[in-house]
Amino acid sequence: MKTLAIVFRKEMREIFRDRRTLIALGLAALATPTVLVVISQVSTKTATQTYTVGYSGDIPTGLDILLTATGLTLEQVADPAAAAKQQVDLGVVFQPAEIDEWYDPTRQSAQIADTRLQTVLGQYNAAKAAAALQQRGIDPGLLNPLQIKAHPLSSPVTAAGNAFLSFFLPYILITMVLTGGLSAALDASAGERERKTLESLLLTPTPRSRILLGKILAVSVISLVSAIAAIGSMLLALTQIPLLGTHVSLSPLAASVMVWLAILLAGCFSSVTLALGTLAKNFRQGQAFSTPLYFITIFPASIILFIPDFNPNLAYYLIPILNAVLVLRDAIVHNSVAWPALGITTASLVATGLICWFAALRLFTRETLLIRS
Amino acid sequence: MSPAAVKVDRLEKTLGKNKVLRGISMEAASGEIFGLLGPNGAGKTTTLRIVCTLLAPDAGSVQVLGFDTMSAPEEVRRRVGVVTADIGVYPRLSARENISYFAELSGVADGELKGRVDAVLNRLDMTSFANQRAESLSSGQRQKVAIARAIVHDPAVLMFDEPTSNLDVLASREIRNFMVESRGRGKCVIFSTHVLHDAERLCDRVTILHEGSVVATGPTAEVRGAHRDLEDAFLELVEKR
Ligand SMILES: Nc1ncnc2c1ncn2[C@@H]1O[C@H](COP(=O)(O)OP(=O)(O)OP(=O)(O)O)[C@@H](O)[C@H]1O
Ligand SMILES: [Mg+2]
Repeated sequence: MKTLAIVFRKEMREIFRDRRTLIALGLAALATPTVLVVISQVSTKTATQTYTVGYSGDIPTGLDILLTATGLTLEQVADPAAAAKQQVDLGVVFQPAEIDEWYDPTRQSAQIADTRLQTVLGQYNAAKAAAALQQRGIDPGLLNPLQIKAHPLSSPVTAAGNAFLSFFLPYILITMVLTGGLSAALDASAGERERKTLESLLLTPTPRSRILLGKILAVSVISLVSAIAAIGSMLLALTQIPLLGTHVSLSPLAASVMVWLAILLAGCFSSVTLALGTLAKNFRQGQAFSTPLYFITIFPASIILFIPDFNPNLAYYLIPILNAVLVLRDAIVHNSVAWPALGITTASLVATGLICWFAALRLFTRETLLIRS
Repeated sequence: MSPAAVKVDRLEKTLGKNKVLRGISMEAASGEIFGLLGPNGAGKTTTLRIVCTLLAPDAGSVQVLGFDTMSAPEEVRRRVGVVTADIGVYPRLSARENISYFAELSGVADGELKGRVDAVLNRLDMTSFANQRAESLSSGQRQKVAIARAIVHDPAVLMFDEPTSNLDVLASREIRNFMVESRGRGKCVIFSTHVLHDAERLCDRVTILHEGSVVATGPTAEVRGAHRDLEDAFLELVEKR
């Protein structure tokens, strides 16, 4: 226990004197707020952006006012179909009782302009029809024989905010736990070999398992600190930066689930990266060995992006990392924890961590570790 | 001759495809400087690594102060200090922190720690740079840190593997003086080098290795025999084989 503390203390001291680690920590804390500011800017800009409609023919009375009010600028052109290719976002030919619309679906601006035009026309048509009926003394309610009244179970705005967090947070959690400890892990393993301190270290009477455990603990702590710094700064930024027209926030339950997962992931990743670092001869080689980790870990996080409603059976929760992503998503979206899923996830991550720890120990105690090739 | 502090018995070791040690036996006693000599690749470093428990022998055995390296490696490690030419230190720790870390890992008690480290710093004349980060130290200063960390737990056996190969004449002389001083304190000092000339002046007894076998062993003067120096003696031994 005492030697564990000695190794841990020395590793922490070295980590905090390493500029690389401190820069990584600083970046972790700054990265997400920066991304959020950009996202928020872009989304506000899209909402207030005006698009151009190139038209020919006579505009039906009143429609021009509606179009301008929805951010569509009207511009008379000779050939709307040709203009829609590039010159304007939409091409429209007004004919009596018919409107021809040309747009290029590959352009995002054309898509948005199209949606706006459809919405405006829907409102315009309904208003015209209602007015005509009223003129004939008929109740315009006739047009909508069945009125629909929606009762959303949660606020749609909160749901949208949660959907955003449910992708973004697992992604940040995994990236930060991995990158936050990586340089420290490589420094504590491949670095010892590269700087030729390993031999002296292994010459002390301290058991090697104790030395390795001290290193794993130190790396886990720094991973955890960087993940929490990144997520904390992000949640803080969210209280300042409105997103989707609201202030997105994380429930205390989801936050506790996230911290628990962060601890498990930090333990796993630090064992993996230390094992890889022990396999490497120097820091650079260690970095090369750990590059695939980025792809392997980012993949599960992307699943949520592409299949937001991915609701697999419990067996999927055995897959490390994917399970953490799923549990965290569930906690954010439903604000509840499915205990069996969390139990399986915890067991799976602890087992993965132990396997990696044994692998790291085997590598750390092998004789060839000290033999130059 | 006093009883052996380090007793190496018919050691064999294969690394990769190379049979590096082919049955090496030797004995080094407390209170002497024992030279482990031989040209590059003779197997000196491999022998020392087996003695300090970093490598396991394929055959044969090593006893350090009565403890077997295979059955009681931790007892052996408590009793040996090793200094090599690879002067690895933790660059972001100060000289003092580097030494304290190894003292703690070697089991120096908390109450004694500061006194022990200070004593070593004084003995090696390191107080002027004790609190400087190791990355800012010169090679000679770093080598002192490496020596300090190897002796801070006061081991009875000191092993030096080419300790002066990266150092200038002044720093080298300090190391030689240190070896002599340690002998005076009753330590068993093993000095491994391929520079026979260096060894000749210092060692009480020597063992010369060549291609993994012992070609000569005994008091330095005896091994030198009628030759001008150890080098000539060695060359003749090798040519005879
Ligand atoms: N990992 C390895 N695989 C195969 N052979 C090795 C390995 N390490 C060392 N050797 C060989 O073992 C032999 C002895 O090496 P060792 O380092 O013990 O020699 P040495 O006497 O210390 O030499 P030097 O004076 O150069 O330090 C050399 O021939 C070397 O090539
Ligand atoms: Mg050598």
